[in-house]
Amino acid sequence: MKRPGSIFCGSADHGLSRRAFLGAGAAATAGTFAADMTQLDALKNEAVAGELKKQGKKVILLWLAGGASQFETWDPKPGRPTGGPFRAIQTASTGVQISELLPKMSQHMNKTAIIRSLNTRVGDHGGGAALMETGRKKDPGILYPDLGAVAARELGRADSQVPDYVSMYTSTEGRRKGTSGFLGSRYAPMFLAEKQIPDNMRRLETISELDHKDRSELRSLLSKQFVQGRKSDTLGSHTSAYQRVRGLMASEQLFNIENEPEAVRARYGPRQFAQQCLVARRLVEAGVPFVKVARAWWDSHGQNFETHRELCADLDHAMSTLIEDLDERGLLKDTLIITLAEFGRTPGINASLGRDHFANAWSCSLTGTGIKGGVAYGKTDPDGNTVADGEVGAGQLFATILEALGVDPEKEYFVGSRPIPLADFGCHAVKDVLI
Amino acid sequence: MRLLSVILAMAALLVTVVQSRILADDLLPADSAVETVIDHYVDELLTADKVEPAAQVDDLNLLRRLMLDLAGRIPTTGEAKQFQEDKSETKRQALVDRLLASPDFAFHHRNELDRELLPQNRGDGEFRKYLLWATQQNRAWNQMFQDMVVGDESDEYQKAAMQFLRTRVGSVDDLTNDTSILFFGVNVSCAQCHDHPLADDWKQDHYFGMQSFLSRTYLTKSKMLAEKFYGDVKFKTTKGVEKQARFMFLNGSVSEEPEKKLSDDERKKLDEEVKKLQKDDKAKPRKPDFSPRSELVKLALNEEGASFFARNIANRIWNRMFGQGIVNPPDQLHSGNPASHPELLNWLARDLRTHGFDLKQLIRGIALSKAYSRSSRWEKDMDPPGDYYFALAQPRILTPRQYSISLFIAARNPPHWEQWTTKPPEDWAKERERLEKRTDSWFRMFEPPTANYQVPVDEALLFSNSSQVRDDLLRDSGERLLGHLKGIDDSSEAIDAAFWAIVSRPPTDVEKLTIGKYLESRSEDRPAAMKQFVWALITGPEVRFNY
Repeated sequence: MKRPGSIFCGSADHGLSRRAFLGAGAAATAGTFAADMTQLDALKNEAVAGELKKQGKKVILLWLAGGASQFETWDPKPGRPTGGPFRAIQTASTGVQISELLPKMSQHMNKTAIIRSLNTRVGDHGGGAALMETGRKKDPGILYPDLGAVAARELGRADSQVPDYVSMYTSTEGRRKGTSGFLGSRYAPMFLAEKQIPDNMRRLETISELDHKDRSELRSLLSKQFVQGRKSDTLGSHTSAYQRVRGLMASEQLFNIENEPEAVRARYGPRQFAQQCLVARRLVEAGVPFVKVARAWWDSHGQNFETHRELCADLDHAMSTLIEDLDERGLLKDTLIITLAEFGRTPGINASLGRDHFANAWSCSLTGTGIKGGVAYGKTDPDGNTVADGEVGAGQLFATILEALGVDPEKEYFVGSRPIPLADFGCHAVKDVLI
Repeated sequence: MRLLSVILAMAALLVTVVQSRILADDLLPADSAVETVIDHYVDELLTADKVEPAAQVDDLNLLRRLMLDLAGRIPTTGEAKQFQEDKSETKRQALVDRLLASPDFAFHHRNELDRELLPQNRGDGEFRKYLLWATQQNRAWNQMFQDMVVGDESDEYQKAAMQFLRTRVGSVDDLTNDTSILFFGVNVSCAQCHDHPLADDWKQDHYFGMQSFLSRTYLTKSKMLAEKFYGDVKFKTTKGVEKQARFMFLNGSVSEEPEKKLSDDERKKLDEEVKKLQKDDKAKPRKPDFSPRSELVKLALNEEGASFFARNIANRIWNRMFGQGIVNPPDQLHSGNPASHPELLNWLARDLRTHGFDLKQLIRGIALSKAYSRSSRWEKDMDPPGDYYFALAQPRILTPRQYSISLFIAARNPPHWEQWTTKPPEDWAKERERLEKRTDSWFRMFEPPTANYQVPVDEALLFSNSSQVRDDLLRDSGERLLGHLKGIDDSSEAIDAAFWAIVSRPPTDVEKLTIGKYLESRSEDRPAAMKQFVWALITGPEVRFNY
């Protein structure tokens, strides 16, 4: 008789991915994991080798909220009617030129790949951001997790003593918290807006350190009795959530850059975006798999060139310092830096010397683990109106990012019985930017 | 791949054959008691597969489970002790009947329906008001369906019921999906872009058929739901052929709209009428001669169509009380996803139909069954049997409401709750309403549980370090549990009192010894020690789960 629960096609691949889906919670308690021994033969499967490859990988997403201009960053068109006043400069990668507004980054282009042929079509802030955060179009009846939640799920450890998804965004414009969608709030971001320290990380003054520690031990003692003989992933996740508390509280120090040597702080400098990049470095160094640092507000409908002169200087300094710092510490080989926005900006320059929303031909960059440095992938036409070669959509970008991290983009989650691949159906990685 | 599809097709065929055989007439008699029927079918599968179920739970465990499922809260110390002391053979039945008649049931049932039907708009005041009104009078489920889908906007309560559609009217896909999932257990979204890959039953025709019942619905300026006078749903098949959707229900039956030829002028006039309603908040909509939503209700509730409607709600109530549906997941009621106990589901569905969709009767039957009262602990040497046997209970995480209210009850001075035993139920209803309001800020802090729900670390951080937990649960003023414990000099007695209040049972010897030792070690500051002990107990999994 066909049993419920076997409604999936019965292929071993599904079995494995389903187990992996339940895995993070299950692995938290030895008891639950043992209950899942039925699929242990999966260890022989190739996919498990991939699981090892992705260990220790991390992501820092530099989110250019509001939409940065590709002309003033990665895809300059000097001398063209659409090009604007800025020049293009040579970079450390022969043949690849970027805007003169990013002089420091030009020295790191040998570690960075640019994709110049994004065509994502959605040109409003909300829709564009949702698309670029999740790598797919909205779908009724289902809430997709964003990249941070997927990374937390795929790269994080169930018993981790540090957060697995931290998101920083201090500006009030275009603020988005991030969403873990159907993966559930276990993978939701720790979101920092007004404060530099996450909520409830610090012990209240009304309880002593000793009492705080004692009661937590007392609690785990009492709970142990209850958990015995009761097998449930949800129950296991409750236990591991409390087990992570004291470790997380200790990680509060990660958010405090006062703990960095003076020389390092001086290098990042006094501006907030760079300082948040320093926090991001501290976090990934301690094992946090995904950190998003958002910088606003690039939405230059007026005075595009003045806006970019200021914001690009900030980006150039923060991003290049971050790359150098990670590289010197040997962290860049495991860390992927993504510079992305919800869309780019129009080739046409409007009457207020601004550029408007434009999602049909724009750029992003990828630096670090898994990435072939020095590549500029794809092409726009001479005026940047359309993609001329190598069109890339949001789903392909996601597949590329996942593959760079050693995560199989075709791996499936199940929502009820519906299979959802990590990168949208049929989207493949851009191999030319991968090692 | 080809082999796989052949196997799948064969499996589907097999299931169809099996199900139609069952549908015939081999079901147990209609006049059997619900609980007897449940145990008959559940035991039948256990015996057939030689699976031995877990033991029945003890009295106090049963009481806590029943209270959480029928009243949405933990028992008070008084209720727990009274149940334990009651020696009557029929005390379980008496308890179930008392709870179903108590004000708590309506509140809890309301909260559960609210959580399922409007998950994105948690705590919508209007909708909750309607649901409470409906659950208080045990309004029939088919009637509630009509209130929500074709309710009369001039009626205060039915208008509130229409929040179901009103909050979704911005997206016809949400309307289509949520209506199909929540009332018929059918997630047709897979069939939006292509025919459903697993269920032969769902084609794009069904998805767009369902959509056509809802696509003419719009919101007027005065926030009333109205229907346009014409308009068809067209869609492209995977082969690129454009098709016009018919008013087709999930079982394939179709409503035909009387053919009317509209001249361009007539269309223009009708369009203007709609435009006026969307702009002018004084304009009153009129009902069109052909109302697609009314047609949906007709097809869904007629003799042929109602099996979806009945099976869906039977399965959802079952899922609520077992943590797993007879069909799992509950939004996949189709032939490719067979029920674990098809006869049982069909019997329960038939029973609902013949008893006027009285959900209380179904809930009562489940609550009295042996299948419901099995232990959640597996103490045998072998691996536990699959969940679909219902051979042991699953620990179910409390909903945000259940948890918040239970925490407040536990943290209160226990004698406070005794006063209600001598007062009329209306007084308790008022207190319960106050409890719901007081926990409004609390319940929003927790996410509603989903399948495979994972507790976020934020929750543990909240309980560990927030001033809210300290102030709401751990104060030791007179009206609080800690205040009450302060007045008990004997440590052993104080430990007993805390266990009864928080986990509705006395401590085990080991627990008592452990806590006693701890309190002794902190005798220089007993109030602080008590606080840590209460925190350790109240944040535990025993409170967080219905087990």
